[in-house]
Amino acid sequence: MRKFTFGGGIHPLSDMHEGKAETRGREVIAFAPDQVVIPMDMHLGAPSVPTVAKGDTVLLGQVIATPTGARGIPVHASVSGTVSDVGMRQLVGRAPSMCVVIDNDHRDEWVKLTPLGTVETAPADQIIPAIQQAGICGLGGACFPTHAKMTIPEGKVVDTLIINGAECETFLTADFRLMLETPDRVVQGTRLAMRGMNVPRAIIAIEDNKPEAIDTMREAIKGQSGIELAVMKTKYPQGGEKYLISSLLKREVPSGGLPLDAHVVVLNVGTAAVISDAILDGKPLTTRIVTVTGAVKTPSNLRVRIGTSIQDAVAFCGGYTEPPARIFFGGSMSGIAVPDDTMPITKANNGVVALTEKQAVLYEESPCIRCGRCVRACPARLNPFQLKAVLDVNDDLVEAERLHIAECCVCGACSYVCPARRTLSSTIKAARDVIAARRMAR
Amino acid sequence: MNITAILYAVGLLGGMGILAGMLLTFADSKFSVPVDEREARVREAVSGANCGVCGYPGCDAFAAAVVRGEAPITGCIPGGARTIEALSEIMGLNAEGKEPMTARVLCLGNNDTVKPRYEYTGYKSCRLASQLSGSPKKCYVACLGQGDCVRACKFDAIRIVNGLAVIDEKKCTACEQCVLVCPHNVIKMQPLSATVLVRCRNTQPARGSREACLAACIACKRCEKACQYDAIHVQNNCAIIDVAKCTRCGDCVAVCPSKCIIMT
Repeated sequence: MRKFTFGGGIHPLSDMHEGKAETRGREVIAFAPDQVVIPMDMHLGAPSVPTVAKGDTVLLGQVIATPTGARGIPVHASVSGTVSDVGMRQLVGRAPSMCVVIDNDHRDEWVKLTPLGTVETAPADQIIPAIQQAGICGLGGACFPTHAKMTIPEGKVVDTLIINGAECETFLTADFRLMLETPDRVVQGTRLAMRGMNVPRAIIAIEDNKPEAIDTMREAIKGQSGIELAVMKTKYPQGGEKYLISSLLKREVPSGGLPLDAHVVVLNVGTAAVISDAILDGKPLTTRIVTVTGAVKTPSNLRVRIGTSIQDAVAFCGGYTEPPARIFFGGSMSGIAVPDDTMPITKANNGVVALTEKQAVLYEESPCIRCGRCVRACPARLNPFQLKAVLDVNDDLVEAERLHIAECCVCGACSYVCPARRTLSSTIKAARDVIAARRMAR
Repeated sequence: MNITAILYAVGLLGGMGILAGMLLTFADSKFSVPVDEREARVREAVSGANCGVCGYPGCDAFAAAVVRGEAPITGCIPGGARTIEALSEIMGLNAEGKEPMTARVLCLGNNDTVKPRYEYTGYKSCRLASQLSGSPKKCYVACLGQGDCVRACKFDAIRIVNGLAVIDEKKCTACEQCVLVCPHNVIKMQPLSATVLVRCRNTQPARGSREACLAACIACKRCEKACQYDAIHVQNNCAIIDVAKCTRCGDCVAVCPSKCIIMT
């Protein structure tokens, strides 16, 4: 059978660096902590504004913050209980975030939205507003508000919806378990998204290192017209939006453009599943599946409440095997290191990886030997060594911009392959964010 | 030996040489481009560091621009007064002497004074550290101490001492490269003569700033009361000295409880 792929990319060593084996066989377990810290700026765009105050009693699924701006989404309480604090906290972002802290009473009394009916009867024009009401944003990691992604602007044509089940990131098996355990949810969500956007064709894309998920999904889409399954070669970063489109459809997203410009909308499998939860059951987004792995006693896949702290989730998995030297949100390739384990798990985090002292070792940088491996590995077709050179020598941001630094997706492939252990990805990311911030300020 | 053959050869080659020489002389005068010999002299006189503070890509471009009359002769800041003098002589222009400047670190947050929020164990880069969960230090405007300015400095004037950047003002040429790279904007350009300085930029109220750093300005206003010349004021929870009014008497330095006003 034909397997799809893209140019560039890397193959993390399956025995040493991929790290998926520990959690592959772990069924998803639901878990509710005693306290949740829910940030108001989980999604991309303007932060939501809290509508609850300290001392208020809230129910599970109750709206605790209203959106600002057209792209905004509301935030829902992920536990029932008492609001114990509303205030600014420093989380993983650059600036402190407004957070609502709720003490869980473990009663789980729901306030639900109104379900719209079944997959076929739900009115098509109400699907996108309902997705916004349910506070859904992309669960793949970027947390782009899903309703904004699905609202196709005037003059643009979308012919294909891609459901991203690649899960190329190392250590993570959350999407794999989701597809294995609730394939119907994914298919229902896909169908609802197709109807909401009026798109005739959907492709569910899975990497070939997940044969069980491929079989399950193939079974689930039987008899569904317009939904196809595509098997892709296992390669990192296969799940990157732009590379996924290039793999499956051989289309290029223009520089600085969106998938919309290639007539495609890409949703994560997790997002598709929560769309069906919201529209068929009226459940807003209050939980998500997270892979907790690395230096923990029982690496697991957990269905956690949004706002659960890392330490609570790890404690549920039996605690650390040894004091972790570094903890990541996301996988080890493109994850973000967290300052300590009190940070809450937000809608964007698909994994928590704790690395031991031995694994988290930093290597000494040595001079570039011009081998060109980073150039071959870069899926965005940049010259990482050159970007690093202009940034290191003169911190020349203008030249870096001319070399298309904005196209970098911070997949980390260049740093992974560099034999001289150059800090390519981190240097480029730091400069890219400074350039983006300056451009915003302009 | 046939002497005529030698004469022929010499005559032919010599003739060709003379002809080519005449052609080249003609071409040289016909197609000559006037070259300003001052450009080379200007290039000699500027700093030669290719730092770019003049706004031109390197010293060559700056020298060319000076000769064309586009760049001011005071443009080369690292060269200092000597370069300006030399350039005014070459160009025959009178230059107003610029007030000598220097870069100064407006922070005293070394490893003993400012408290850490978390232990930063990543790659040595202030820019990277500043993007990870706010700042590794409790003060949000503190020197991050990872040495981005040290790497940017082309004159070896900055060192990191106990987690804080320290500038050698004798070596500093005021090229501003460190000012541009610092993600917390801790380094500022100052007149060399302004020797009394508030070395803190923390604008949190007293409790927050003291919690973050032992050397933070706590906006107690004792310096304001001590100053006889109305030169120091607390604005936005942090003291600021008006350079024009300051007489460097040192009264404020003596009364500051957190010792964040420094006289150099």
